[in-house]
Amino acid sequence: MKKQSNWLRAAALVCASLFLAGAAAAQVTLEVMNPRGEIPPPPTMGINARVSSLAGKKIVLVDNGKFGADNFLNVLAQILKQKYPDATIVMYPKPSAQTITDMPKWYPTVKQQGDLFIFGVGD
Amino acid sequence: MPGVYFTTTEFLDDAKSAAKDRGMPGIRMIALPADTYYRSRSTQAELQPIAAAVFDQMVDDLVRPLTADEAKPSQIQKQHENTNIKVTGSDYQDAYQNVNDLFLDSRWADGLPIVPPTPVLVKAMLAATTRSPDEVVGQVAPKNGTATVEKIAVNSVMAGAKPEYFPVILAAMDGFVDKHFDLTHVQASTGSFTPVVIVNGPLAKELNFNSGIGMLGHGWRANSTVGRALRLSLLNIGQTWPAVNDMALTGRFEAYTFFTFAEDEAKSPWEPYHVALGYKPEDSTVTVATSGNPLVLGGGAVAPWTAQGILDTVAARTSNVVFGWVHSQTYILVLHPDCAYELGKLGYTRKSLQAWLYEHTSIPYEKLLAATSGFGHASEIDEINQSIADGRIRPDRAQIFKNALKPGGKVPIVQSPDDFHIVVAGGSPGYSLLFSYPGPNWANETKKITGATLTKAGH
Repeated sequence: MKKQSNWLRAAALVCASLFLAGAAAAQVTLEVMNPRGEIPPPPTMGINARVSSLAGKKIVLVDNGKFGADNFLNVLAQILKQKYPDATIVMYPKPSAQTITDMPKWYPTVKQQGDLFIFGVGD
Repeated sequence: MPGVYFTTTEFLDDAKSAAKDRGMPGIRMIALPADTYYRSRSTQAELQPIAAAVFDQMVDDLVRPLTADEAKPSQIQKQHENTNIKVTGSDYQDAYQNVNDLFLDSRWADGLPIVPPTPVLVKAMLAATTRSPDEVVGQVAPKNGTATVEKIAVNSVMAGAKPEYFPVILAAMDGFVDKHFDLTHVQASTGSFTPVVIVNGPLAKELNFNSGIGMLGHGWRANSTVGRALRLSLLNIGQTWPAVNDMALTGRFEAYTFFTFAEDEAKSPWEPYHVALGYKPEDSTVTVATSGNPLVLGGGAVAPWTAQGILDTVAARTSNVVFGWVHSQTYILVLHPDCAYELGKLGYTRKSLQAWLYEHTSIPYEKLLAATSGFGHASEIDEINQSIADGRIRPDRAQIFKNALKPGGKVPIVQSPDDFHIVVAGGSPGYSLLFSYPGPNWANETKKITGATLTKAGH
């Protein structure tokens, strides 16, 4: 009786193994190609050192030309004048036909006019 | 020079993405609350509390010493995108579904199911061109992903394009990545522009591109899948995603397949469009441009129209709007065959039609004087003078504008008559369409289709 029971257990194990092996063999693998472009990373740069205080500085407010940016920067300019009366505020409307990717064209003018800049409002 | 950048909460992800793309991940940014800023930006009084709320943060961002990582960030590493991906399933159907789930969940698709780009299918696509799989076609904005012939093939398979279409897709990509084409603006602008793709020459007919009724709609595999292959290539190779770095506010009017059609050369009273550009009749070409939603002209089947009336409407509509950046403007006027026929009967050649449009869309100086620019604070006249000064209006055309910017002058809305592109397509009785793009830079290129191996034309 015991022998028969062991045999049945062994048979069941073999059947289960065969079933699992069969199930594993039924797995289908699809190999697909990556559609994404590789991006050559640009040289990574740090940002410029900060100033110790805004007092006495020339601050350029760069208006990117989007609707309302002038209003926002003008309000900032008013607050700056109140809190830093000896700072010089320069309003610089970026030429609208020059986009952010044209930065080499407009940034030198900004740099020439001040010690630090505030850019807005994107978008 | 230290600085701080203001954006809004809606655009913060986009701003961070752009900063990283340009190698400056550490730019200090302040995001204004979009839910109040946009509603308040009309007046300084309304903006006062918003500016006051961020003022201390702005000062702190300008004076707080840099962290080591801000001063010298570690070099951004290249992400390798060339390894094949293995996806399993209990059977083929399950694996197919899993591939689609992976691509859609990973933002590698346009929201619709794709054809899994298996190496076998990509190889078949590549066999349709003599161009090498490793050839770098160019860099795709905004992230400057490298478009190789093989990557474009992968996306073309996903779109369901036939291999025969592949040389058309490649030539269109040649146009999009051309250094004169402002793909960054087209891909990322809030303006929600849709690329326009026009196929000319014998290959258009051989591949059964639709140029008649329903030319912008569904049903034609060439129009639909060539457009979709370009959609997917720009999305995946340039690595864009809506609301992350594709900021088209409404989405695009033909988001999935673009405005893709062929010219109906047989029904045109004039030489084919590509021949007018200097190509041979036996050449096949693809033109890529971009546009807002087109202006629909004429009465179709239900209302009367005249060919001259359509031209008059074009003149009235284009010379009555703020046009911004004259240096970069092009218009694509798609005339339906009946309208083109009538214009031919009236004696118009393509050249004389372009000349008519150039003259009749010009804006009287006095009208321009009163106009404010559609962008920024400069007047229209300031904008044009700026474009002359920085060479964006070509030196050989600059004098025309200088002469026009005087009392009694008429200021053209394009640099030259050739910037009115005339194409014949559409149903009969039809509507004509005017595609225009109010962008700051050029976005119109025509490329010859070459290297085709599976078709009679396009070699």
